Amino acid sequence: MQNDPASTSCLTCGAPLDVRDVVSDSGWREAPRLRDMTEFRFAGSVVQIEGRLVPVADIALAHGDAVYFEHHVMLWKDEATPVAAMPTQGGMRRLFGGMPFALTLAYGPGRVAFSRDSPGELVVLPLPPGAELDVREHAFLLASHTVGYSFVRLQGLANVLHGGNGMYLDRFVTTGAPGLLMLHGYGDVLERRLAPGEKILVEPGGFLYKDASVALQAVQLPVRTGLLRRGMYLAELTGPGRVGVQSMYVHHHAE
Amino acid sequence: MTGAGPGSGVPEGYVVCRYCRTAHPAGGPSCPACGAALDVRQAVSRSGWVEQPPVRDLARIQFGRSRVQVEGRRVPVADFSLEGEEWIYFSHHALLWAEPGVNLAAGSLGGAWNRMLAGMPLIMMEARGPGRLALSGSQAGELVALPLAPGQQLWVREHRFLTATGNVTYTWEPTGIWYVTGSGDDRETHYPLGQFGDRFTAQQGPGLVLLHSPGDVFLRDLAPGEALLVQPGALLYRDVSVSLHLHLEYPGGAQQVSWFSSYSRRSIWLRLVGPGRVAVSSVFAHTGGGAVRSQSPSTLRRW
Repeated sequence: MQNDPASTSCLTCGAPLDVRDVVSDSGWREAPRLRDMTEFRFAGSVVQIEGRLVPVADIALAHGDAVYFEHHVMLWKDEATPVAAMPTQGGMRRLFGGMPFALTLAYGPGRVAFSRDSPGELVVLPLPPGAELDVREHAFLLASHTVGYSFVRLQGLANVLHGGNGMYLDRFVTTGAPGLLMLHGYGDVLERRLAPGEKILVEPGGFLYKDASVALQAVQLPVRTGLLRRGMYLAELTGPGRVGVQSMYVHHHAE
Repeated sequence: MTGAGPGSGVPEGYVVCRYCRTAHPAGGPSCPACGAALDVRQAVSRSGWVEQPPVRDLARIQFGRSRVQVEGRRVPVADFSLEGEEWIYFSHHALLWAEPGVNLAAGSLGGAWNRMLAGMPLIMMEARGPGRLALSGSQAGELVALPLAPGQQLWVREHRFLTATGNVTYTWEPTGIWYVTGSGDDRETHYPLGQFGDRFTAQQGPGLVLLHSPGDVFLRDLAPGEALLVQPGALLYRDVSVSLHLHLEYPGGAQQVSWFSSYSRRSIWLRLVGPGRVAVSSVFAHTGGGAVRSQSPSTLRRW
């Protein structure tokens, strides 16, 4: 996004513009730490980021704009801000997978604020038309109503992430209009862009998001992890595209 | 902070801390009564929430002849230097370290059976000076210092209390906020604000209460009659002048989604009504699922 040279933060994602990129020697870029009280826009609405440890996304929704979310991430709202239920595809399969059966939609005009339950970072991902992004389940904080929502099940990850139930990824898609997607990453969030065919192994609990063009599958490493435990599963991601990881996660017993 | 002015009741050369509302001499990097940094700009969201600034590392807070120094940023430590016979009380699991010379004793609380059922501490440790000891919480968050003027009362969410000075009395009371889900053997009563709340009252002299809040803390002053919906688990403390009750909100179109979601997508809010100060933390526990069969006095909104 092209910003005014005098701006100190990006108008569409809130990233500070007056700090240098932080990229590790191995190629991971730290997600921009959004400054307290930073504001950015989507459509006619304004998002303000508040706090440092567990940041809050405080949204002034304009008339005609809406965001959807899992209903328990609402921190507060004005009484007059309307909410509606939003159906999701997959019905009972989602229910059995521990995923939200229906999402909630808040629409403008009105104010509503969101936060998750542990220290981390808000990751702001403005999606241009035609974008497709896969996100770890329960990591998504909110998305604007112009972003389509579905989910995919990864068959090969049984016992890696859910102890036998397989792994679901939330899939967010834009078609004709741009949209906004916000995630909550636990700990610090790092992003890396994989070249076509380039692979990287990631602890499944640390995986946060990827472009849909990045393939994900479980691979077993022939590594002893205990007296009677053999084999360790990791998520193998193959480019091209972006991959995001979070530094704080619950270790999944991948034997 | 706000300065002195005619009719303000604030002595010349004094200012009122914008966070703890205590008057203190102007100048200095932090409020001597609550440790809030004073040489930083006030962070106020467009929606009116004032962000409680983290107590600066190694800031000192004076109370009586004793003082507490705050150390660290992620899980801050309250390092007390108690003078003479001055004393504090706290839950024993908050104790991080103590000098051998500090007089530690157990003080019992009334209502033991109910407190035990509610998962609250049965015993309060008392630490009496002279000597040093330190307390800390167990989650990444902020230390919030709340000086109380004589006679002032404050309601605090259970399990957020870290310590209080000896001249602050502590009582506890049922929150009166509950709802019931399920039926028969599956019937369950939920207390989204906790079963009990803590109430602190300063006696003859000024007192100090320290809280540990997970996440970030935000304050707001509600005007008389002004109402706001907050997650029950997020409420940290409030002036006792702020009233509250349960508010059930059902999103529109739920029946079209499915019979199940018509109740499972309901939001359970606390409706706070001013006047007074309220504070929330950005980390909160979720409310339990299921259809609400009965509840404490509440308001309802179906969209």
